[in-house]
Order: sequence, then C-alpha cells, then structure tokens
Amino acid sequence: MMLSKSNNRVRRLKLDPSLIIVILLLAIVIVCGFFLNERFGTMRNFMNVLEQSSGLGFASIGQAMVVIVGGIDLSIGAIITASTVFMAAVVDVHPGLMIPMIFGTLLFGVAIGFCNGYLTLKTGVHPLIVTLGTASILNGSVLIYTLQPTGGVPYWFEEFAYGRIWNVPISGAVMIVCFALVWLFLHYYQTGRAFYAVGGSPEAAHLCGIQSNRVILLAYSASGFFAALAGIYFVSRTGVGDPRIGDPITLSSITPVILGGLILGGGKGNIFGVLLGVIFISLLSNLLNYMNISTFIQWVIQGVIIIIAVSVYVHKGKNL
Amino acid sequence: MIRLDGISKIFPGVKSLDNVSFEARAGEVHALLGENGAGKSTLIKVISGAYIPDDGTIYFNGKKSKWTSPKGAKDAGIHIIYQELVLFHELSVAENIFIGEAPLTWFGTIDYKAMYERAEEILDRLGHHIDVQALVKSLGVADQQMVEIAKALVGETKLLVLDEPTAVISGREAEILFERIKLLRDEGVCIIYISHRLEEIFSIADRVTVLKDGQLIDTRGIEELDRDQLVGMMVGRQLKDVFPAKKIPSRQVTPVLAIRNLCAPPKVKDVSFNLYAGEILGIAGLVGAGRSELAHALFGSIPRSSGTVTLDSEIFNTPSPRESIDRGLGFLTEDRKGEGLMMLLDISANISAPVLSEFTTVTGLDRAREVQVAKDQIHRFRIAVPSPGSGVSTLSGGNQQKVLFGRWTKACRRVLILDEPTRGIDVGAKVEIYEIIRQLANDGLGILMISSELTEIVGICTRVLVMREGFITGEVEGSQIIEEVIMKYATTESDSVTTGIGDVLIK
Repeated sequence: MMLSKSNNRVRRLKLDPSLIIVILLLAIVIVCGFFLNERFGTMRNFMNVLEQSSGLGFASIGQAMVVIVGGIDLSIGAIITASTVFMAAVVDVHPGLMIPMIFGTLLFGVAIGFCNGYLTLKTGVHPLIVTLGTASILNGSVLIYTLQPTGGVPYWFEEFAYGRIWNVPISGAVMIVCFALVWLFLHYYQTGRAFYAVGGSPEAAHLCGIQSNRVILLAYSASGFFAALAGIYFVSRTGVGDPRIGDPITLSSITPVILGGLILGGGKGNIFGVLLGVIFISLLSNLLNYMNISTFIQWVIQGVIIIIAVSVYVHKGKNL
Repeated sequence: MIRLDGISKIFPGVKSLDNVSFEARAGEVHALLGENGAGKSTLIKVISGAYIPDDGTIYFNGKKSKWTSPKGAKDAGIHIIYQELVLFHELSVAENIFIGEAPLTWFGTIDYKAMYERAEEILDRLGHHIDVQALVKSLGVADQQMVEIAKALVGETKLLVLDEPTAVISGREAEILFERIKLLRDEGVCIIYISHRLEEIFSIADRVTVLKDGQLIDTRGIEELDRDQLVGMMVGRQLKDVFPAKKIPSRQVTPVLAIRNLCAPPKVKDVSFNLYAGEILGIAGLVGAGRSELAHALFGSIPRSSGTVTLDSEIFNTPSPRESIDRGLGFLTEDRKGEGLMMLLDISANISAPVLSEFTTVTGLDRAREVQVAKDQIHRFRIAVPSPGSGVSTLSGGNQQKVLFGRWTKACRRVLILDEPTRGIDVGAKVEIYEIIRQLANDGLGILMISSELTEIVGICTRVLVMREGFITGEVEGSQIIEEVIMKYATTESDSVTTGIGDVLIK
C-alpha cells in the first residue's frame, strides 16, 4: 500500500492497462520491420511515416473525442472532403485569402460538427444516423459542385504537409501537439473530466450537475474542427480539392480509436493510445508496402488485427 | 417436497449463503423472511438453477436434484415468479400464459381456439376472471401477477416461488392474491413465499424460515411466533442497537426547505411540506407512490408543472441539478449504479464530480487536492478501498454507498435527499450508514429520506410523510411513528393504485 501511494502517478502512466495491447502491437511491427526490411528501420523512414500519418491522426483525434462522450461521427470523411474542396476552390480564385481561409475552413468544420451535436441532442436520433445523414448531404453537395479534383493553392502551402524543421515533419509535429493538448484537456480540465462522466454514466453525470449538452456539442464541434484540419492537410499535400479524398477516412478513423483501447460505448480510454494506434496503422502499411504486399491484402491483415485486438480487450475487461 | 441441505454460495468477498438447510412441504405456504441482503434472492436463484451452489445438495421429491439451469428446474416442476414480471405487454393474456407451449393445429400453426379455452380453464382453476384475449399491457399489475401465476399452472408445477409479490400491489389486491395462493396450496402445491413484510406473513404463511446475513436463523410454525420474536430473528439484535438515538431538533421558525403545491406529472400531485434543518424527514409509501419522482422534481432532474420551492427563503422554481447543487442540495438516488456512481471513473473522481469547479485552478484540475479530499472521505466514512485511485465497480454495495455519501457530504450544504440509502447492502454497513445520516442531521443538514423499509423509517426518522398515488396522505410525528399507522396511510383502499404502478412496469 505504501508503495502504491508514492508511485501512484508513475504507475498509472506505465501500466495503464488499456495501452498494453497497442504498445505490444507497435513493438511487434517495429521488431518485425527491422528484420524484414533494411529500409524500414531508418530515422528517415520513421519521419516519413509520421508525415503521412497526420491526416489519419487529425481525423482520429476528433473521432476519439466523440467516442469518449458515447457517440460516433460518420461524417468525418465528408467534412474532410468538403473542407478540401471549399478551401481549394476559394483560394484558387482569391489567392490572397490563403491565410484567412485556413481559419475559415476550420470554422466550417466546427459549424458542421456543431450541427451534428445539435441534431443529435434535439432529435434524440442516434448519432450514427445523424452523422450518416450529414455525411450524405455534404458528399452530395460537393459532387454536385464538382466531379473532378478542383481548385488550387499557392505552392508555398505545401510546406504544411511536406515541410521539415530540423528534419521533423511539420504536419507530424502539429499532430503530436494536438494529441498532447487534447490529452491535457481530457485529464486535467473540468470539462475534460465531464467527457468521461457523460460518456460512461449519462444519468449519474446529469444528477451531478454536469451539463452534458454542452459537453456533447463540444465533442462534435471538436470532431468537425479536427476533420477540417485533416482536410487542410490533404489540400496542402495534393494541392487541390478532391471530392473523393475523405471517403475512406471515416471508417479508418475508428480503427486507431479501437486499437488504442477506447470503448465504443464511451466513458473510457486514453487518447495517447489513439496516437499509438495511428502510428501503428501507418507503420504497418508502410512495412507491407515495402514488402510489395497489395492494398487488398493489407485490408485483410488490418481486419484480422482489429478483431484479434478487440477480443483480447474484451477478454481482459472481464478479468479486471 | 424440497429439501436443501447445507447450501453455501460464495461470491468474491461475500459468503452469500452459509450452510443453509431448510425444507418445504407439499400443501404448505412456507415464508422465507429476512432483510435485504440476508440471502433470500441467492437462495431462490439456487433453487431455480440460476446459481450452482458451491456446497450442499438439493433434494426434490426425495431425489437428489440434478438440474444445473433454470430450464432444468422448470422441467422438474419448479416455477418462480419474480418481483419484476416477465410478461410480453403486446401479447394477449392467453398468449402469455402459453408462451413457448402454445397448442398447435394440424398444420403447425397456433390453435387459438384451443389456447383461449385452455387459458380460461386455468384462470377458472385460480378463481380469477380476466379476458384471455385482452392485451397484457391493458391489465393492472395485480391482474398481470395472476397471469404469471397462470403460467405456472400450464405445466405440472409442484413448487411455486413468489418473490415479494405484494411489493407492487395494494392491500385489497394482496388479500385477493392470498386467497388464490391458498387455493393452490390446498391443491397440494408447495409454495415458498418471500417477503420482508411481517403483517402479511401472519395472514398467509404456515411456517416461516428466517435468514440473516446468509445464515439460517430458524424455521418455525407461524402459530409459535409473535411479531416481536420475528423482528428479533430478522434483525438479530434489539432495534435500539441498530438505530442511533433520535434527536428531535428544536423547531426553527423558518424551514430550510418549503414546498407548496408542487406538481410534476404524472406521479407527483399537489405536494406541500416543510423541512427543517437538523431533522430527518422520512417519506414512506408503496413502490410507485411517487416518492422518487418527488425527489427528482425537487432536485430539478424531472420537470415541475407548478408549485413553489423555497430554499432558505429564496424561491427557485425552474431548477436543474446544476442549480440545485450550487444552492446546497444533494441527491443520493436509489439507482446506485445507474444514476449514482460513475462506474468507469475512480473513487476520487466520483467524490469530486458535483463540485469539480472547486478543484479548478488556472492550470486545470488540482488532482493532488482532489485525491486528498477523497482520502479524507475514505477515512471519515471508513470506506474499505486500497486507494483513492481504485475503481468503484468492484466495491461492495455498502462501500459504494459510502463513496456516494462521501460525494454528497462534500457537495451538499443545506439539504440532502436520500432515496433508499440502504438498499441492497448488508446489515453491518446499514448500521454505519444510519449513524452517518444521524451525524449529518446533527451537523445541521435537513435530511429527506425515502425508504421502503418501514423498520428503518420508524427507526431513524423524526417525522414521516406518507405518499400514496402521488399525494401526501399523512404526516406522523413522535410516538405516532409506527408501522401500522404508516401502512394505513400508504394503502387506503383504491384500485387506481395499480394503474399508476403499471405505467412504471410497462415502461
């Protein structure tokens, strides 16, 4: 007992049981990578992976926040798509608006996210359906506007996706900073604590005077914000607004959330695990690419890993 | 008919049944009596095959029983009627009676004609007449209970177990139920009747078995016993040792909480009363009388339609839980795991939840102080936990309840509402909680305590309001606080009681 008292915080960081599996997965892929491919284990490759994982990383932060409050956001991909088209189309015509449009796009994402939260609260419809509806509206509208990648941004804006400072990719650094800020928010702020309370025990949270409506609105707005940030990253990376770029990201944003040990019912999990999940997914696909394994086989492998990982969680959960 | 021999059942941390032996005969009503947590439910689950005992044997009809599942027990002729009825509300009475065993026609479809006829036969046998084609949701709870009993008569039921059947019905309906039960007893069915209401035991039971803390106290014929002996057997000690001495506060001029004509449809109707600092005001009544709803309406967690609530001479009429907490109210709900604790968070987070803003500094939450406060409360209420960072889900009921007391004594400054504060916890923890409640009142909180356990209302409250059908029907004080008087106010004859309760069950 004395021991657990003095080492309380240290122990929690070390042995947070929800992180064990993702750390294990990460260790496996890194060790395998070193043996299977000589180019995998270089600092240069790790930095490249960090750079490429940012889009998925931003999307997963938002998804994780919504999942913690007990919801799910299936409009993330659509918000990403709409953000890229919105930004690229406007900046193409008015190149001078590049900087204001960064904020404009983020605001756009927040607005859509806010709508998701508001509709969920007002209608009482499950967020799965609400966000699916929003996604359909957004995707449809974008495709009415353009079927082809469109617009363009100034050349210097590529720096966000490809730029390096002391050989560290800017986008990857921004992603890690975002994760760190959200982690601080969730663990050291009143509203962050409320995220877990509302997600895990909505009735009890209500009777403790926690204003769950605000928390839910905030979670969806944040999800919209990070989706828009992912959109900005993709614009920077591709230089255009692509009406199909976000499609696969909705579902792939859920994968790191699950691997990172969050539960879909809400109320539990460490956002740090989600970051590790993002890095794991990116490293895995990087390694499999080096080994010339086709994308389709990669999907199969990912599916198998998700199911195995989650069943281990469920099994462990029973024992805890 | 059935004989249990040395049954033990151990759960992590608790010996729920400890070497219990008893037998019930064909053609008798055998009452199983004990406080909450005495092991009655566990015993029933052992009989029903839902639990496998860790030790001991069950003999049924002279043979060693072999069933290991509820299905096996049912096939052997054992039928259990739980307090929460297991009926399909959108199906008819006959369909419910024959659920899974409907008579079939040549083509394998349900033979409705035969089913209705046989359903009527069964209800005739019970001497109870209801329309077999009516939907179950249209019936009152008492009739729904009869449908449950009728289900037992489809097969050859030798042993019928009734788990607190009168908790949800009115006094007159209970008498009808007793007549039906006696009819079955006279046919030779063995009936085990579970209750903690003493009055009815004397009008229905032939023999009584008392359990306490998982142990068998005794089995006696009802004619050998009187009320006080039975209470002594159940509680295991004198009442004065269980409850702390009452202390009636000097009556102040202004109440801490004054409620006038409060309505919160559909369950709370025109409620008015005062609560003074330092008193423990009990709210008694049957399940479904609107007591919990009154508490929620006071706290602002369900909407009020009219009436005024005054706290410290300040009116607040459109409250929310947030506002109530800020003004000094606390509410410990009856649903400990759903509405009370946050099961995924640790103890310190559970304690600080209502007043988290007090722990907020410019740099975020002051975790160190949060943990310190949790440690203080753990020490104060003697909560048996390894550390403030442990989860709450693995704690015993008593310790969970103490965590909630830790929470609300930190948050609450004026009025603490307690809804069934000792439900489902063992006797030792109950005694501690009574002392805590007494202490809080002495410290000047106004305590509003809802309870279905009359012994505890009588034992601890300095004044009692009785609710029935959403109204306050009586107020008793001092030497008037005895079970008989409270029950009279709670159950004055009226059949509409059941429809109100039906709403709850259907929901």
